[in-house]
Amino acid sequence: MAGSPRVLPAVLGIPVVLWQAVFFAAPLIFLVVVTFWQVKSFRLEPAFVLDNWTRILFSTTFQRALVHTFTVAGTTTVLAVAIAFPAAYTIAFRLSTRARDLAVAFLVVPVFSSYMLRIYAWQIVLSPEGITNALLGSIGIGPLPLLGGAFSLQVGLLTLTLPIAVLTLVFAMAGIDRTLIEAAENLGCRRARVIAHVIIPSLRPAIALTATTSFLLAFGDYISPLFMTGSKPPTLSILIVDTVKSGSQWPRASVIGVSMLVMLALVLGLGQFLSRGRAARKEATR
Amino acid sequence: MNTSLATRLSRLAQYGFLGLLFGFIATPMLVIVVFSFDANRFPTIPWGGFSLEWHRAILDDAMIRDAFLNSVLVGLGTAMLSTLLGFAAAYIDFRYRFRLKLPFVLLVAVPPAVPATILGMAMLAFLSRIGLFGRLETVMACHVAIATSFAMAIIRLRLNDLSRDLEPAAWNLGASPAAALIHVVLPFCKPALVASFFLSAAVSFDEFLIAWFVGGVHETLPVRILNLLQGQVNPKINAIGTVVLVISVALVLIAQRFTGVRAGRRPKPEGE
Repeated sequence: MAGSPRVLPAVLGIPVVLWQAVFFAAPLIFLVVVTFWQVKSFRLEPAFVLDNWTRILFSTTFQRALVHTFTVAGTTTVLAVAIAFPAAYTIAFRLSTRARDLAVAFLVVPVFSSYMLRIYAWQIVLSPEGITNALLGSIGIGPLPLLGGAFSLQVGLLTLTLPIAVLTLVFAMAGIDRTLIEAAENLGCRRARVIAHVIIPSLRPAIALTATTSFLLAFGDYISPLFMTGSKPPTLSILIVDTVKSGSQWPRASVIGVSMLVMLALVLGLGQFLSRGRAARKEATR
Repeated sequence: MNTSLATRLSRLAQYGFLGLLFGFIATPMLVIVVFSFDANRFPTIPWGGFSLEWHRAILDDAMIRDAFLNSVLVGLGTAMLSTLLGFAAAYIDFRYRFRLKLPFVLLVAVPPAVPATILGMAMLAFLSRIGLFGRLETVMACHVAIATSFAMAIIRLRLNDLSRDLEPAAWNLGASPAAALIHVVLPFCKPALVASFFLSAAVSFDEFLIAWFVGGVHETLPVRILNLLQGQVNPKINAIGTVVLVISVALVLIAQRFTGVRAGRRPKPEGE
């Protein structure tokens, strides 16, 4: 190893750091800076004013959108975990290895493909003249206003979150120590008790991760609110784009963006705390 | 095993529930493909008969062709650069200990977790100030900043399986660290490199918000679709959708084929 043990890590590391600094870290830092700048005659000018912050944080539009976004993302989180858990359980404990691999493959595909198109497809399915209403109409029901409300919004957000939620839980369940489950069964535990006392406790970090991931995705999503509810009422993401587009109000849009990031950081921290709190307790009883 | 009626019913309910969930996930993809071959202008039931009209129409649409070409270029560039940077980041995390390691790993890992609306706006604000707005290269550079996270994750997982003694053995035999990296580590990581290449391409091929913000007049295919969607009902969308869907599904499936991560076979925890 004589010569230059520091050259290789530098050659490998510096491009990575530079790239992520210029195209990820710097934009985010600049976003924070811009919140204190001013727009004068449609031009962004350096300044140090708190005006943008007070205007946004005290505006009812922002506050309503904030409450709405939290409610929507919270609902998605609860639904995603509630739906994903039994599904993941079936995949992890009931399917053969081969079927399980197929299920995982099937779930990975939508995580990385065409979310926007899939939301558009739901529009076709749910719209007043769409597939569902055509089917319902043929048996004399409807047309139902399926599109444009809380229901369709959740359909869209679950399309985004469910595959990841199920995958996270399947991988966590596959990692559970099977001998624990067998031991509980040998001691006469029924399946429901095994789930309540063995599986769920050892999955707590994974459940927290699933919940925070679902929240994060739903909270920041732009496409489902846009296409499933026509932006009414607006979520924070919609508000950002509208604020940028109408009159180049960059500083105010940045305030919304930075506020969202702060709130997401808090939610992530809470998730960490919830999963770690239990781990620490387990450590103590061991 | 207890095979009472209750148990069987419970199993049936479990499979039924899973079936419903898979139906929910598959429905939108099927709808796009099925209705892209529909002769009707507005996609609904009854089906208007089989037609390739809309597929032909997208071939004649110059804007769609350009957008497709842009997407391919951006996707290929993103795939190559992300795989390179992802490998470098994963190897550094695997091999070295240093004080700023956590910030380093976070700098690479975190970008996909930031909502694309915020990240896109931030990138536009910053990059337009340093004169990079409205270029295809900028879209690619921004996609790389996101996709490298996935590349690092896949390659790092593979490196977990690399014996920690293999490189020191090469060093003892006189190989320089760089030679050991190229002749020992790189070949070992090959499947993961292929996987991250295709996955990064998929991530880029699917991304629309950042491309929309920083691309300016250079539309990628998802941006073109987004602009079409905001206009009137356009039967071409299903046809482009099918093409995009087939490509991104193919990219993800190829990537999966090479990761070797299975639910039943968890990657070994790292031996510290």
